Amino acid sequence: MNCLIKSIEFCDVSFGFENSDLVLERSSLAFPLGETISLRGDRGSGRSTLLQLLAGLQLPTMGQIKMNEINVSDLSFEEFLPYRLKIGYTFDLGGLISNRTIMDNLLLPLEYHNACSAKEARDRVDYYIDKFTLHKAKDVRPANVPGGVRKLTCLIRSLLMEPEVLLLDDLTVGLSKPQVDLFCDCMDDLRKAKKTHTVIFSSYDESFIRQIETSSIFFEGGQIYLHPVNREAVGL
Amino acid sequence: MVVKAIDTLGRKVNENIEYTVRVFMMVYYAIRATIYDQSQGLRTVFRVVSSQIYFTGWQAMPLISVLALATGSIVILQSSAQLSLLGGTSMIGNLLVVIIVREVGPLLTALVVIARSGTAVASEIGNMRANREIEALEAMGINPLSFIVFPRILGGVISVICLAYYYIVIALFGGYLFTRLLQDMPLQFYSDSLIAALAAEDIFLFLIKTGFGGMIIFVVSCYQGLLVNRSPHEVPQATTRAVVNSIIYVTVFNLATTALFYLNQLVNMGVL
Repeated sequence: MNCLIKSIEFCDVSFGFENSDLVLERSSLAFPLGETISLRGDRGSGRSTLLQLLAGLQLPTMGQIKMNEINVSDLSFEEFLPYRLKIGYTFDLGGLISNRTIMDNLLLPLEYHNACSAKEARDRVDYYIDKFTLHKAKDVRPANVPGGVRKLTCLIRSLLMEPEVLLLDDLTVGLSKPQVDLFCDCMDDLRKAKKTHTVIFSSYDESFIRQIETSSIFFEGGQIYLHPVNREAVGL
Repeated sequence: MVVKAIDTLGRKVNENIEYTVRVFMMVYYAIRATIYDQSQGLRTVFRVVSSQIYFTGWQAMPLISVLALATGSIVILQSSAQLSLLGGTSMIGNLLVVIIVREVGPLLTALVVIARSGTAVASEIGNMRANREIEALEAMGINPLSFIVFPRILGGVISVICLAYYYIVIALFGGYLFTRLLQDMPLQFYSDSLIAALAAEDIFLFLIKTGFGGMIIFVVSCYQGLLVNRSPHEVPQATTRAVVNSIIYVTVFNLATTALFYLNQLVNMGVL
């Protein structure tokens, strides 16, 4: 698989929001690529923060975030752009452009980056709209659709650029089980097509985490620990 | 007591300098991002610029028309009455150019734009921050400074220049037509007086005041909107600060420009 992101590593990363305690404190970890990784921890333990750091939406207070041995925290927006385009990110809540319809929201990254022809972009979006039966909502603005549709749109948007790394914050919140299963099928399709190699997600839904059997990253006292998937136990 | 006053003054000056530097940095980054952004085609910029011109310029025209007609009529009525008492009716052109073109036009237009569009831009961007739309753009690899900020500043500057020009035309000619109902003033005399009074430096001063005034309004509004930190309750506060700061910066800028212009004239005349 010819991919851009070959390694991701936290080197002594500390992070804290303004006027609050550190969420991460000198944490180091080499993320295992090619796997599905779930983030496990209590509320406020730093799962969303970790995803934001990986997506380049937050800068570490101290330490380095390395991708392919390059400290990406030091890169400018333009220098980090090639990596960013290979990372799909979804928020736990919000994140859709409110003055654009659901369709335009989905088309935005493809059209903006000229990722493909206009026809192909529309076909790609239509494929997901058909798959998730979002026809009624596609010409409506986000404020006028149910929260579940907004969440789905965010998730679909992260897939459209066919990213190598998917970062999904509170993946299952607001979605029904069939919708989650359908989304997982879409992720699997991208994996089989050798587009996406790594998925890092957070979820409180233990049954879902068990269902897709993953490696886990645990949060404790500002530190992060990797617990690799027991491949033998799950017959991999 | 005195030390405390000086201390407070010093802190205020420091805060203002820091604020100005931050605002200039945002402008620099917005221009830089627009130049370096390979993905953002001219079409994307043009689409946002044109909608900004529509909202700021086109939709403000009725309000500007009323204001221009009213203020133009008042100034022409008052000045022609006073000048005829002094026997200087022929100076009406000079007086109107100084008051309408150089001063009231740019300032009143700026105040209208602050009230209508400065607030709209600050609250729009503030809400985008609160709804995490700005972060979403970044996550998609779209730089908010080139996608959101730069086109709004450019569209805003163009709108303010055009609106101020429109204001002047309506104030001078609409005001004249209204005045004709009450006073007898030949059109030939009025237009000759205006043309004779209008100089290149008036146009220069007009462009400086409207161009930079427009930039101040939209830069400050965008900046205040971007300062919102994820919570919707901050949006009204950001909007208020955008209005207050824009009014202060625009009026001070207009005052400073006028003062420098007259100082320059005094130097040229050999008075200073």
